[in-house]
Amino acid sequence: MDKSKDIEQKEEIRTPFKEFLMKFKKQKTAIVALIFLLLLVVFSIIGEMIVPYGVDEYDYMNVLQSPSKAHWFGTDEFGRDIFSRVILGARISLAVGLSSVTIGAVIGTILGLVSGYYGGFIDSVIMRICDTLFAFPGIILAIGIMAILGPGMFNVVISVSIFSAPSFARIVRSSTLTQKESIYVQAAKNLGASDMRILFRHILPGAMSEIIVYYTMNIGSSILTASSLSFLGMGAQAPSPEWGLQLSTGRAYVGLNWHMTFFPGLAIFLTVLSFNLLGDGLRDALDPKLTQ
Amino acid sequence: MLRYIVKRILAVIPTLILISIFVFMFVRFIPGDPARRVAGPDATLEDVEMIRETLGLNKPVFEQYKDYILGLLHGDMGTSLKTKRAVTYEIGLRYMNTVTLTISSLVWSVIFGVLIGVFSGKNRSKWQDYAGMTFAVSGISLPSFWLGLMLIQIFSVKLKWLPTVGAEGFKSLILPSITLGASVAAIIARFTRSSIIEVMKEDYIRTAYAKGLKDKKVIWKHVFKNSMIPVVTVVGLQFGFLLGGSVVTESVFAYPGLGSLLIDSVNFRDYPMIQSLILIFSMNFVLINLIVDLIYAALNPEIKLQ
Repeated sequence: MDKSKDIEQKEEIRTPFKEFLMKFKKQKTAIVALIFLLLLVVFSIIGEMIVPYGVDEYDYMNVLQSPSKAHWFGTDEFGRDIFSRVILGARISLAVGLSSVTIGAVIGTILGLVSGYYGGFIDSVIMRICDTLFAFPGIILAIGIMAILGPGMFNVVISVSIFSAPSFARIVRSSTLTQKESIYVQAAKNLGASDMRILFRHILPGAMSEIIVYYTMNIGSSILTASSLSFLGMGAQAPSPEWGLQLSTGRAYVGLNWHMTFFPGLAIFLTVLSFNLLGDGLRDALDPKLTQ
Repeated sequence: MLRYIVKRILAVIPTLILISIFVFMFVRFIPGDPARRVAGPDATLEDVEMIRETLGLNKPVFEQYKDYILGLLHGDMGTSLKTKRAVTYEIGLRYMNTVTLTISSLVWSVIFGVLIGVFSGKNRSKWQDYAGMTFAVSGISLPSFWLGLMLIQIFSVKLKWLPTVGAEGFKSLILPSITLGASVAAIIARFTRSSIIEVMKEDYIRTAYAKGLKDKKVIWKHVFKNSMIPVVTVVGLQFGFLLGGSVVTESVFAYPGLGSLLIDSVNFRDYPMIQSLILIFSMNFVLINLIVDLIYAALNPEIKLQ
């Protein structure tokens, strides 16, 4: 009696989400990455409370100091503490990465759903535009948009969103195309469900796991693109503690003070690496093909 | 086969036209009066009018596009606002530098990427695999400007083995191509690995082992050959990333190529130059993808048969 109840309960709790959690727990590196990212989120929220120095705390007596007990990562050309500035820079990079990819993902997903579901003329228009945007290699499109909009972090977000939307559109479109023919979508159609309902209640959830994985990895590459733009002088402007900008100012001192470029760069590297590892882990936990 | 080639070449034409429209509209996307924006805040009305004239902004849009395309077909891309010389002249000076850099990066990253991918895939879930894939995921996450500056720090400043900047000879190409190729090597390694793993599952590989072939022979003769077909496509796509990445790398090493020219032009708001460079970058990318697709078709018997 007790035993059968036990089995019943076990079957009950195997929801897709629980199953995902079970698989995700086995992804050790992804969990480490997630912890690191959560730490960065904490830094972005309460950064000011934990850093030893202010972001604009000039100290002309202690410029270009090597790492020491007082300044763990050394100081920059104005005597500002690099450790504090790296911690406070986390907020900018996370905000830019998350917001630009979220905008890109929402626009791209809607375009992909519409394109795949309705097909025909609207599909070819959307896909042609995507093809054209894909024809601009890598960061070139982002630089072109920055050249039009002018420098600044807000414009970086716009530019990176436009840059990431087409890939979401493609992924969601192909998933929509396969699901369109599925029994459950046909059934919903026969029951008289509206297009909107079919798109957002039936097809979107089916594409969700792919979107989540791609979203996570895209945050990493968007942070890279955004910091590259800042490094090239088109993104954040002084005295922002943005990591790419710190590297850009540090490059003038590269022979003398390695720490000015080393630490902000390490921060970018670890953040992007964590998003990529988390994305890998999510994919392994979500991909039904890999469970077989 | 011939039909496929013709079809593929014809398919490029609408893309090229769309790119040209996009690039043409580029200057017109600038908020406010583009001529005024180009002229800068201190310009007199006369200067603004002159720039409007130079950019052809006083004609109807369709007319302007026609002029633009006719100019392009005659090899005229306008005049640089910064140097007052023909854009084509400035680009011609640096074009080969970027090509050399991109190709040398591609060569080393394909060789390394494929080798790492093969060893990882062959030794799946062993230490070689973990080492290879650690390299790969790190390579994808590395900010190239950081890698470049660290390489300068170590090899130019500390060890004094290699020059910091410029484009004189083979030595000055080493650090920039390592910087530019790192992420591409990583992506190729990941892709090769999964392709190798796929092919290893095939029946004909089991047969090859079963008939007593040596491990090395199976890997290089059977697995390697068959797993390279999808890798070719990835290499083509990576060429685009190399072209785009050259912007950052060239500006780190002050390498006189198209990428550093693009950054200079953006900073100077040299719009005719920016416009033409973006056009050149994307056209190169489209044409390379065309070539890769044709190579792919030649390699892949499934397409050949159609």
